[in-house]
Formats: sequence, C-alpha cells, structure tokens
Amino acid sequence: MRHSFLVIGLVAAGGMLASPGAAAAQDVRAQLLERGAPAEFADQVAAIVANAGAEQLPTEPLVSKALEGWAKRARVPQGRVITALNQYVVRLQTGRDIAVAAGLDPVPGPVVAAAAEAVGRGMTGEQVEEVMGSASEPQAAATGLTVASALMAQGLEAEAAIRVVGDAFRRGRAPEEVLEFPSALTGLQAQGEDMAQIARRIMQGGGLPSPTAPGMGGRGNRPQTVPGISGEGQKKKKGASGGQ
Amino acid sequence: MSGKERLSPEAQGYLDGEPAGDIGPEDRQAADQFEQAVQAYAGRLQTPDASVDRAVMAAVRAEARGPRRQSVWQWLVSPHPYSVRPALVAAAAVALIVLGRLLIDIPGIEFGDRPAQLAPEAQATILVRFELRAPDADRVTLAGSFNEWSPEGVELVRNSATGMWTATVPLEPGQHEYLFVIDGSQWIPDPNAHAQVDDGFGQANSVIVVGPRGVVRS
Amino acid sequence: MSEMGSQSDAVLVRRILAGEVELYQVLVERYRLEFGRYATAMLGGDVDDAADAQQEAFIRAYRSLASCREPEKFKAWLFRIVSNQCHNTRRGRRKHVRLDRVQDPPDESTQRQLEANEIGQAIQTALDDLTTEQREAFVLKHVEGYSYAEMAALLEVGEDALKMRVHRARDELQRRLEGLR
Repeated sequence: MRHSFLVIGLVAAGGMLASPGAAAAQDVRAQLLERGAPAEFADQVAAIVANAGAEQLPTEPLVSKALEGWAKRARVPQGRVITALNQYVVRLQTGRDIAVAAGLDPVPGPVVAAAAEAVGRGMTGEQVEEVMGSASEPQAAATGLTVASALMAQGLEAEAAIRVVGDAFRRGRAPEEVLEFPSALTGLQAQGEDMAQIARRIMQGGGLPSPTAPGMGGRGNRPQTVPGISGEGQKKKKGASGGQ
Repeated sequence: MSGKERLSPEAQGYLDGEPAGDIGPEDRQAADQFEQAVQAYAGRLQTPDASVDRAVMAAVRAEARGPRRQSVWQWLVSPHPYSVRPALVAAAAVALIVLGRLLIDIPGIEFGDRPAQLAPEAQATILVRFELRAPDADRVTLAGSFNEWSPEGVELVRNSATGMWTATVPLEPGQHEYLFVIDGSQWIPDPNAHAQVDDGFGQANSVIVVGPRGVVRS
Repeated sequence: MSEMGSQSDAVLVRRILAGEVELYQVLVERYRLEFGRYATAMLGGDVDDAADAQQEAFIRAYRSLASCREPEKFKAWLFRIVSNQCHNTRRGRRKHVRLDRVQDPPDESTQRQLEANEIGQAIQTALDDLTTEQREAFVLKHVEGYSYAEMAALLEVGEDALKMRVHRARDELQRRLEGLR
C-alpha cells in the first residue's frame, strides 16, 4: 500500500497524471496485481511505464514485456524483469532518436517500437535509418524494420535483410507483401537453400519470392495475387467464394 | 588567378555579405572569382519540371478517393484487439478449404497454415495453426504477445493417436512472440517458429511473422 | 516574402486538411521550384534523381500533413522531408556525379563550355565529398541564395554553426578550384 501511494505521489509530483503514460501505468499495475504480483513489483513497473509515457515513448511494448516477465516468474526473478524493462526503455529512446534523425516528426509509437527491436537484434543506427528511408510512410517503416529484424533472427546477414526489404519498398511492394518474407525465407530453406546462397542472391539484386509464387523474386517479379486472399481481389472474391 | 588555396577570413566575411570594409584587393579578387564560379555552377543546375506536380497530384487524388488519409495514423495509434465470434471461426474453416484449392502450390513451398478471410470486421485477422508434439503432456497452452502472455489463454487440443497438440489461433498480420506452456509450468519454444529470439530475461521466445496469406514454417 | 509565403502556406494546409485536396498542387509547385535546385545539387547534379526525390517527398508530406502541427512553419517542415528524402535517395542509389545532366546554355563557345563544365564538375565533385551538413549549408547559401537567418529557421541550427559549415565548404571548394587554375 505504501508503495502505491509512493507511485501515485511520484506520478502526481511529476505532473504525469495527464501524460500518455499515466493511464498505461495504472493499467499495467492493475493487471499485475490481478495476476497476483506483489504491490512493490507492480509499482516499480508502473513507474517505469509512466516515465516512458511522459517521454512520449510507446508504453505498449513495456506493458507486454512486464506481463511476460510476470508470467514467467517461475524462472525469471522480479529484479531481472525490472532490469529488462529499464534496458527496453533505453532501446526505445534509441529507436526514437534514430527515427527523429531520419526526419520523422512526430514519430509514431509502432515505428519507435520496431526501431528499438531492430537495435536489440543488432542492427546499427545507420541500418535502421536505411530501412526507414526506403519506406514511403511510417507504417511501412515499422513493418520494414520488423521484417528485417525477423530475417536477421532467422539467420540472414543484416546487409542482405536490409537490402531485400529496401529493394521491395523501392519496387513498390506494399508492407503487407513484405510481411511474407520470413515465410518465403523459411520456404527457400525448406527447398534446401542455405542462408549464404540466399544472401548472395539478394545482394546481387534478386529479392525473395512470394511464398506462393513460382520462381525467384527478381526485378519486377511481383507476388501473384491470390484471389480471395489479399489485395484488391479480396472483397470481390470473398463474395464469390462465399457462394461456393 | 588568385592563387589562394584558402579564402581569408575577410574574403569569407565578404562572401557572407558583410560590409566590404577593409578587405584587400587580393582577397576581394579571390572572393569575386569564387562567387563567379559558384554562380556559374548554380546557374546550370536544373529544377525538376512540372511532371513532378502531375505525379504527386495523381497519387494524392488516388489516396483522397481511397481510404481516408488519417486511417493509417489511426491504425498506427489504435490498439488492434482481435476478436472472432465462434460462428466466424466455423465460417473461416469452410473458407480454409476453399482457399486451399485456390492457393497456387509450388513444390517445397506451401502454406502450412492456410489463411482465411473472416468477416469484414475481422478482415485483418489470419488463422494460424500451432502444433507441438508432446505425447507425455497433460495440458498444453500457448502464451504470447497476442494474449498478454496469459498461460491460460489458448488451450491446445490433443490428438491421442499422434501425440500432437494443436490450436488454430486468429492473429493479426505482423510479428508475434510466444511460447508453449506444458502442464502450466514448463515454457517451451516452438521448433517450427520462424526464429528464436532473446526474450530480454536471458531466455528465448519463438517468433512468427504473419503475412496476409498466412505463415510458412519449417 | 517568407512571411507572406508562410501565412499563405498555413491557410492552404488547413484547407487541404479540410478536404480541398486540389489545393495541394499550389504547394507542390511552389516548393518544387523553391527546393528544386537544392535537390539537384544535393543529388550530384542529376535532375532526374531530384525529381524522384521531390515526388516521393511531396507524397510523403501529403500523407503526414495532419501531423504538421504548425502550418505556419510548413516550409521548414516540408524542407525536412525533402532534405531527408534527398539523403535517402543519395544513399540508396549511391549516385556519382552526373554532370552530363547539368545543362549548358546554348550560346557559349565550345571552349568556354569546356571550361565551365570543368569548373562545374569540380564544384559538384567537391560538394559530393563534403559532409551532408556542409553540402546542405553551402547549397542553401550559394545555390538557393538564403540568408543565414533564413537557413537557421529552416534547419533549426544556429547561425554561427551554419557559417562555420559554409566557410569549411568554401575552403574545400576553393582548394579544388585552385587545382584547376
């Protein structure tokens, strides 16, 4: 109880009650308590979330990470969760700074979160900026970063991951199409190709194929639109397939 | 000509538009020559023509006719809870079969998890199938970023003949981190995920990236 | 001019956001011309790259017009987008100097054309070797003819720092030009 008053006092003193993080802080605190977390831990988390919100950082990833940490309590001590959250805040700050340097103003939360994640997975600031620069709008930037990070986590070297995403955007591919790249990469591996081969081909200008399209994704090889599944054909075909 | 490799502070000031003051003739000549060369260069630079205006306006008009301009921003800042009514899941199951026929198959690359178009209000939701072989488990659930890491969230169903546990979960396109939870306590990564990443606590989470057409996993 | 311009920009921005999409063309034409040579100079003298960069920047600006919080400062806001797009285009395409794209006035004698080309080439090469900040400051000062006060408002950088960038750029250019003489 003492701690909750402390947090409320801190929040009020900082003039944060009206800040974007205040509601998220209250919410995560309530959720943690509801899940049986001790008040002290919930208060510490709430303070981190409130401060991040006051800094205009996105709070959603922090809330998710805190709930994850508590869910894994059997093998993750609470102190470790707090440390991880503080480290996450630093990555979010870095992500925001990179986005601002890239000319985004204001920076939407999803872009900050995606940039933070990319940094966390080993992308340099310059590489993050490069992916952002290849996207035509913030949603695409966030998706591009997420996909490039995922490709790296799959084992593709950073340069190739960034290249394939950037080339796709430059060729006019929509962010939704780029979301299919991790599946395409898995598909190629299933066909027996190794990462080095795939990376080499990407760096020579070949892209990744759509998982449902035959052949390799070279220049102009747009993924085939499957009626009823994606793109403009969706609505029309939906009506048609619905009648089958 | 002027023979100066560097402009003097006076010449720099002169080029900055400061009063000529007591700038010497030599510095002044260097500054004038410099200015002349730069102006000749600048005069040759071309300005993009009106085709830029036409291309921009074509794109702008297309956007203005299409989805509302702010929808992207609203989409970005608004939460995306997925909710699928049970009836829709049944409808989606039918759609899965239909889509299975529609998909173009190529050898070696197939969607293990066929996506389904649900209802207009759930259009962004894709059905993704999770499976884990755990013949000795009594209970398997799925906890991840999509259900606030609640170990109670998604129950997998056991096929007693094969020892496989499966669940089909509606997910939004994008990246999701998750783990299987066996018997409420053992957290297990998904060997079929796109990747395993550091969870920030010194352990690993599984990651899948859901595209509009579903997920291909190993 | 800038005061009038910015007021009129703000009015236009508000009307566009209220639904008068066609008015965006006024802003596009205004700033295509105003930032045109800047973009060309920043992109190695290649007017086609400049057109691509401007096109992308203007479309991007339209998409995020609602986030332009101070329509009175639309020009500076748009400049940041154009400038950023130029940097990205430059980085993405790794362009080299394209002086074949820098047009010659038709009335010059061949000899003078050659000389002017050589000088133009030396300046563009030197510009391309500067840091981005120095190149940008130099181009705004000498190609677009802005005062330091205008540049400071546009770039949100102090006048002294801008002077220093321009002076360094001039020194480097002067060194190259002397090499030709």
